[in-house]
Amino acid sequence: MRTAISLGAIGAISAISAISTLGALITLASTATSAFAVDYLSVDQAARVVFPQADRFEPRDLLLDAAQLQKLAASGLAPRSARWPVLLAWQGSTLLGVLVADAVIGKFELIGYAVGIAADGSVRQVEILSYRESHGHEIRLPAWRRQFVGKTASAPLRVGDDIANISGATLSCSHVTDGVRRIVAVLDLARRSGWLPA
Amino acid sequence: MSAVLADAVRRAAAGGATGSLRRARPLLGTLVEVGLVPGATLPEAGFEAAFTAAFAAITAVQAALSRFDAHSDIQRFAHLPAGASLALQPAGARALRAAQALRQASGGLFDISLGTGPQAWHCSGARLHKRASGVQLDLGGIAKGQAVDAAVRALRRAGCTAGWVNAGGDLRVFGAIDLPLRLRDEASGGVRPIGTLADGAFATSRFAPDSRCQVTGAGAGVIGHVSVAAPLCLWADALTKIVALTGDAAHPLLARLGAHAWIH
Repeated sequence: MRTAISLGAIGAISAISAISTLGALITLASTATSAFAVDYLSVDQAARVVFPQADRFEPRDLLLDAAQLQKLAASGLAPRSARWPVLLAWQGSTLLGVLVADAVIGKFELIGYAVGIAADGSVRQVEILSYRESHGHEIRLPAWRRQFVGKTASAPLRVGDDIANISGATLSCSHVTDGVRRIVAVLDLARRSGWLPA
Repeated sequence: MSAVLADAVRRAAAGGATGSLRRARPLLGTLVEVGLVPGATLPEAGFEAAFTAAFAAITAVQAALSRFDAHSDIQRFAHLPAGASLALQPAGARALRAAQALRQASGGLFDISLGTGPQAWHCSGARLHKRASGVQLDLGGIAKGQAVDAAVRALRRAGCTAGWVNAGGDLRVFGAIDLPLRLRDEASGGVRPIGTLADGAFATSRFAPDSRCQVTGAGAGVIGHVSVAAPLCLWADALTKIVALTGDAAHPLLARLGAHAWIH
């Protein structure tokens, strides 16, 4: 019973606070839609996060020719574009890697992301740049929301909706994963064709 | 609102001049967000190391518990012969011990074997024993919560006094911050404000014939969303499944774990 005792030993703490400004939220509820968006990093910020040792970043346009686009398609990766703007990360005369930014559309959301590819072609890091719910919808009656209220003490401190967070059945990021695979393949083609500096 | 927090919020809203207070990466098959509030013990210069520590903790849980990683404890267990055991990776051991405790406390309802052998596995210390062949484990109902809790521990070790971690909707808030919470409507899209979350965890699962989240077992009956607030994200995540299975938003296990549930 040791584990059961440890389960019971977890004390109750406040989790959901009462909505202390219900009036304000009812005002919000009367609006037609509730979209949600977060900006995490700009492309330049992401480049510095992924390649902190770099002393300069060189913007370049990677252009795929028809044969390369066909190769991509043949490998099952729909080539979304022939032109890929990238940032080369340099430390002195050494190429550390390449940062590629892209965006994918999911069921309800638009996700911007950046992939850092090391000089050897491996994925170094993926950072989400932005998140947008692609559409909102009518908020239902406040009665729906009221069921969540009043379980614990009211909140002494509120920080505003601009850092709100979402709960909901798990969002799949398989389209981000697919996008990363496509970018790895595009960079692989570029390396094979001699486009990337050695 | 303190001046420091107000300033942090302003910078969070603006994206920040020196980088955001929130970062997100695709992990655990979903989007994982880490948010930080600056405090006396963690100046902004220390944020990068804190973000790195939090994402590293989540990656370690993923490596231990993923069904899709050939080297994970879950995959290694699937290939064990009956009667054998393996040494658990530290990052995943807590989730397996919790799953074992929940199996017992729920009278077998919480079943990470998904019917392949509810009693055919056993955790003892840091070892996982296989009692019968054919049993396979799936920590999908608990791993995200465990990963969130691990990330919060890593943030605290890095000196963070307030912040949050959200793994695709399973989230936990810690420190002197009340996080406005919205709920995504999986059926029609969009989000709805529901309140604020302080010093605790919140998880939501949607159960429907067409949804990714399925429960198996006798009594599986809830069609719709189940939300649970609990002190730990691991409990919140796991308890959504128990509430969905029983259809009981007042299941006795909720009170035992300091949790509340809503079926909506």
